[in-house]
Amino acid sequence: MQLEPLTILIAEDSAADRMLLSSIVRRQGHEVLTAANGAEAVEAFRQQRPQLVLMDAMMPVMDGFEAARQIKALAGETLVPIIFLTSLTESEALARCLEAGGDDFLAKPYNQVILAAKIKAMDRLRRLQATVLKQRDQIARHHDYLLNEQRVAKAVFDKVAHSGCLNAPNIRYLQSPYALFNGDLLLAAFTPAGDMHVLLGDFTGHGLPAAVGAMPLAEVFYGMTAKGYGLSETLREMNAKLKRILPVDMFCCATLLCLSFQRRSVEVWNGGMPDGYLHNIASGERTPLTARHLPLGVLNPQTFDDRTEVFPMAVGDRVFLLSDGVIDTCDAKEQLFGVERLQQVFAANRQPDQLFEEIEQALQDFRGEARDDVSMVEVSLLEAAQLIPPPLVYSDSGQSCPLDWSVNFEFRAATLKRFNPLPYLLQLLLEVHGLRAQSGALYSVLAELYSNALEHGVLGLDSSLKRDASGFTRYYQQRNARLDELQDGYVRVHLQVAPKDGGGCLTIRVEDSGKGFDVERVMARPVDGIRLSGRGVSLIRQLSRNASWSDEGRSARVEFFWEALA
Amino acid sequence: MADTHLDRDVLSALQEVMEDEYPMLLGTFLADSEERLSKLHSAGDAETLGATAHSFKGSCSNMGAVRLAKLCHDLEQCAMQKNFLEGIEKLVGEIDGEFAIIRPLYEAERQRSLADSAAVRRF
Amino acid sequence: MSVVTEVSSDGKKLTISIEGRFDFGRHHEFRESYERLDYKPESIVVDLKKATYLDSSALGMLLLLRDHAGGDSSDIRVVNSSSDVKKILAISNFDKLFDIS
Repeated sequence: MQLEPLTILIAEDSAADRMLLSSIVRRQGHEVLTAANGAEAVEAFRQQRPQLVLMDAMMPVMDGFEAARQIKALAGETLVPIIFLTSLTESEALARCLEAGGDDFLAKPYNQVILAAKIKAMDRLRRLQATVLKQRDQIARHHDYLLNEQRVAKAVFDKVAHSGCLNAPNIRYLQSPYALFNGDLLLAAFTPAGDMHVLLGDFTGHGLPAAVGAMPLAEVFYGMTAKGYGLSETLREMNAKLKRILPVDMFCCATLLCLSFQRRSVEVWNGGMPDGYLHNIASGERTPLTARHLPLGVLNPQTFDDRTEVFPMAVGDRVFLLSDGVIDTCDAKEQLFGVERLQQVFAANRQPDQLFEEIEQALQDFRGEARDDVSMVEVSLLEAAQLIPPPLVYSDSGQSCPLDWSVNFEFRAATLKRFNPLPYLLQLLLEVHGLRAQSGALYSVLAELYSNALEHGVLGLDSSLKRDASGFTRYYQQRNARLDELQDGYVRVHLQVAPKDGGGCLTIRVEDSGKGFDVERVMARPVDGIRLSGRGVSLIRQLSRNASWSDEGRSARVEFFWEALA
Repeated sequence: MADTHLDRDVLSALQEVMEDEYPMLLGTFLADSEERLSKLHSAGDAETLGATAHSFKGSCSNMGAVRLAKLCHDLEQCAMQKNFLEGIEKLVGEIDGEFAIIRPLYEAERQRSLADSAAVRRF
Repeated sequence: MSVVTEVSSDGKKLTISIEGRFDFGRHHEFRESYERLDYKPESIVVDLKKATYLDSSALGMLLLLRDHAGGDSSDIRVVNSSSDVKKILAISNFDKLFDIS
């Protein structure tokens, strides 16, 4: 490599030595500045910024040590190598040179070859330092740039993510502000029926790659939840979407919940997340919500398993979900925090509202420092009346509202297995402006009528199974099994909208191919009974008008009225 | 005889490095040396004496004044130990003597090189 | 070498052994271990006997391997997993895709 000419400052009080050294250095192709003492040297450095200094130690006015200190201070982060010119031999004096910031020595008498080699070596060091500084600044710039990008991406994402109901009074959560870039994702939204869907997800990887999947996932979650789709349909769509857009080695572990305040139950799907826990406050028992599925985005749509589990809940019971950041926390010896330690924190917990803080503290004690990639969420079951879902926002003007029509559907076995017609039916009905104010009740009633027709009618499931918690689980296992095997049967839905006194009336009739039930006995029960079984009928009677059953329970009929709109 | 005072190899190396400025270097050295000699005489304390001797030693070694460099080195050592006042006086005297010997040698060398370069210029 | 590859003498079985942490740092070596073969072995064994740790990017790498080996028609066994590693594979339900022992 051709040596780039340098500007070299020679500080030497002996005129002959200065002259000699200048000649040697010039002959080696460098520019020379000279100074006869330390003060002159500092001044010359200040004005002309030479790249390297040859400095005599003993000089009048200001000695070389002080001059070296001042020059190093002026140079700041830039490496300006200082080679002390000295015939010093005592190690103490040499040490002083180093302390003052000297980088090397050159003994008198001068040897041209050695001097050239030292200048070359120092120049290499100087350039290395310059490169390191340049790269450091570059990295710092890139880092700033990246942080800014993340800030913007996060701001955009927050608009999407927080369009949900994470601020609902029954949700507590803890997430790092940059959880998105750890791949963590927390979403919550009300369904039209007033149920709550919650998703805690964890994408593989870190940084932007971990964040890119979050946006489409959130869109599917919010879009489908708002339209009244259940967990299964939403899961299938999320899985298919992620499978389509993510590379093979990327996926999203996720737990999806549907909390039903009216039915007092929680439906759970866990793909690849650590166990969540359903905390029964009365008994203190914690039921693990274990991963039964592969993460989202791994399986193709044909093999994806959308089966969920349903658990009963009482008011005040809580569902706790957490990301793998908790149990995968390592201590200095690469030991995992693990599930047992988490359960010890559970066991020691006295104040349920302090649980997050206690887990964080335990992680910090275990690891020696806090973690910023832990996500936790806790959702409690409230009385349905304590939660008021936000009103739905409609974008149309209402000028084209349909007011006098009827429609009939028949959903047969192959369709019942995989298709949920409720979102479609609800959207159709909400074209009628007068019905929008009661969309929650409408959806709940429609959903109950449909699931009664399907589960008790077509599938012949016994609702009394749901009397206790274990029966509850068995009930939903049977439901899945019978649906899988279903060959025949139908559910018919008849909708009729008619204008009435400036307002209107909706009549819904749902019929099924099942065996029917003892209408008189069911109708004789008190309407407000809080039981796990038979809540459907009671709910329908509370939320709609003129509910009646005919054809030995195979045909249900309800009405909804609305007044003239202002 | 000259070999104990001057290192001729150093001088020829200096001439090669300095080229036309060689005579000027020799003149500068002599002028510089006189200054340092008078400093040695006027030094009021051991520290100043040692520092002056140290610097002088450096120039001498660069200029091939081997014996003068050695005497300066001894003086520096003496000054550092501070208790050989007699030794110091003796060494300063020897340095004076040595400079008196080498001064004409450097003068001669300067004249020779001036004549050489003048001769070169005539061709 | 933290990823060691061995092909059986009949060339039908590829064994990939991982040593130490099985995480994103092994990405390149791991892909290399099967991509450099110019034919597809009938079966693949991933030996985790000396693997101390496995993270989600390791799971991603296993998915890449599975994809490379023919997806649903692939024959991949993951063997000698420690109890910690087994727990991680169990949470992810990877036993539905791989024969894990």
